[in-house]
Amino acid sequence: MLRSLRIYPAVLLLLLFVAFPLYWMTVTSLKPQTEVFRVPPTFLPETWTLRHYTDLFWLTDFGLLFLNSLKVCLLSTGLALVVGSLGAYALARFRVPGKEAYGRLVLLAYMFPGALLIIPLMLLFRQLELTNSHLGLSLAYLTFAVPFVMWVMRDFFASVPVDLEEAALIDGASRLGALWDVVLPQAVPGLIATGIFAFLFAWNEYLFALILISDESLRTLPPGMMRFVSTTDTNWGLIMAASTLATLPMAIAFGLVQRYLVTGLGAGGVKG
Amino acid sequence: MAGVHIERLHKQFGGKATAAVHALADLTLDIADGEFISLVGPSGCGKSTALRIIAGLEIPTSGRILFDGRDITGLEPRDRNIAMVFQSYALYPHMSVRQNLEYGLKKRGVPAAERASAVDSVAAMLQIGPLLDRRPRQLSGGQRQRVALGRALIRDPEVFLLDEPLSNLDAKLRVHMRAELAALHQKLRTTMIYVTHDQLEAMTLSDRIVVMNHGVMQQVGTPEEIYSRPANRFVAEFIGTPSMNMIEGEIRAEGGRPHFTGPGLSIALPMAPSAGGRATLGVRPEDIALVAADAPGAIPARVTVSELAGAERYHFVSLGESPIIVRTPATTVLHPGETIALGLAPDRLHLFVGTGDDAAAVR
Repeated sequence: MLRSLRIYPAVLLLLLFVAFPLYWMTVTSLKPQTEVFRVPPTFLPETWTLRHYTDLFWLTDFGLLFLNSLKVCLLSTGLALVVGSLGAYALARFRVPGKEAYGRLVLLAYMFPGALLIIPLMLLFRQLELTNSHLGLSLAYLTFAVPFVMWVMRDFFASVPVDLEEAALIDGASRLGALWDVVLPQAVPGLIATGIFAFLFAWNEYLFALILISDESLRTLPPGMMRFVSTTDTNWGLIMAASTLATLPMAIAFGLVQRYLVTGLGAGGVKG
Repeated sequence: MAGVHIERLHKQFGGKATAAVHALADLTLDIADGEFISLVGPSGCGKSTALRIIAGLEIPTSGRILFDGRDITGLEPRDRNIAMVFQSYALYPHMSVRQNLEYGLKKRGVPAAERASAVDSVAAMLQIGPLLDRRPRQLSGGQRQRVALGRALIRDPEVFLLDEPLSNLDAKLRVHMRAELAALHQKLRTTMIYVTHDQLEAMTLSDRIVVMNHGVMQQVGTPEEIYSRPANRFVAEFIGTPSMNMIEGEIRAEGGRPHFTGPGLSIALPMAPSAGGRATLGVRPEDIALVAADAPGAIPARVTVSELAGAERYHFVSLGESPIIVRTPATTVLHPGETIALGLAPDRLHLFVGTGDDAAAVR
């Protein structure tokens, strides 16, 4: 009881810190343009309006940006899960010389700043004609997503008893069959958790998306939304409405799989 | 069903010869079709490695395995037509009991109708019919054990491999499942290779026992042979509880006959070892009788402690200066400090010459 008395104020403070920007974003998107800059500010809109949202769809290409983002993110997450899981499984199960060193290198790759990668990546992609392509952007995201998936899934696979796989092998499964039938179902929480993070990373990514894609019709949300900012005029209501809508799918996804996320990250960290 | 021929099987872990661990050294063994054979020994003796090589889960460093003359050494586990029961049961947690049972058949493309009838007959045999729709975590230890057995049985394999299948069960259930396993083998007559560290399980279940230590086969034989004629000191001490009494001493010729002379005792030997060496005399606790003090060959001894173990008693006794255990019916009551006379059955004596576990039996 005493413990919770001490913890709750801290939790409340943290919640305020995290949630207030989200709240402010949502509220601002629902205020008319004239009310956005009023001093003192209003914490609830005096006049509620959906004007920014209708403008978003009628006056901008938000819908297209959203679909482009969705496509790139789903593609890169899917690829990251397949490639990363297979790599993680190999690291967890096979006796490969230099396995530990390789595992650490993977983590290093994950920590490598993207800004350093983008120039060489740009040159490479231009030669491969992967610029201005959703596939190309998805592949670029794998530089971060695959190491992340590998790093987390490796612990997941290591915590699945080897006996299960061996039983499947004797029962008539191939290596890949055993992985698919027996190991992956045990690692579903991990797949969901890592998948969400890989998706989230791609969804929020700005730099790669800005540089690798110059074709307006192929742009994704973060660089696309930047065009709502111009030198003479910034329509904050519009930006906030776009941000709110961009946050929504992630919020819903988190809500749906929260249960897996907690068990997932927990099980990955502590074996058994 | 198949006979299994194991030829010079060798397994070492770790690449370089200097640092390598020899998990299994030069195992050669013939297992008859339908035989129940146990590999028994302490942990790390190579019994599980041998089983895993037969299963195809480990690749031997050298050697061959043949099923009915077919060389299967290089085959994948799934191509060997074997079934294995794991110590941990290894039931697939996300599948129901029914799905667990039929997984192997499904992988081999057996049609659904056939699978269903196979599941039903195995479930009936193991009395797990009511459990078919449950998940493994909803089952008790004994039930999981049955399902694991069922998953192996349903495939009708040529060779059955069992890796310590009973060691996770409590004592009472273990005795029960042991009897069921014996009955199952009686009925199926499939070749079964059973790995255990429990010598009692090996004794009660097996047609033959292979005793192993440090990766080397020590002795192979029927339970009677292993128990009454152990080939070396390791086998003698490993098999039987309480284990065989060992008395250190030497061989001397007295009056033209070889005698074993230990601290405070001298016993005429029925076997004829060469005189003059160190030796160890072995005698099982039940092969020692209480005799009258003036009986021929009687050896005086002092009782230290007596333990009642239900139907029998174990008496801890000093024979000369050597501590030994004597096993009698529970009705024989001895008191600490009491002086008694013991007679050793001459035809039940074991003599081991050499050092350590490898000391060989002299007959």
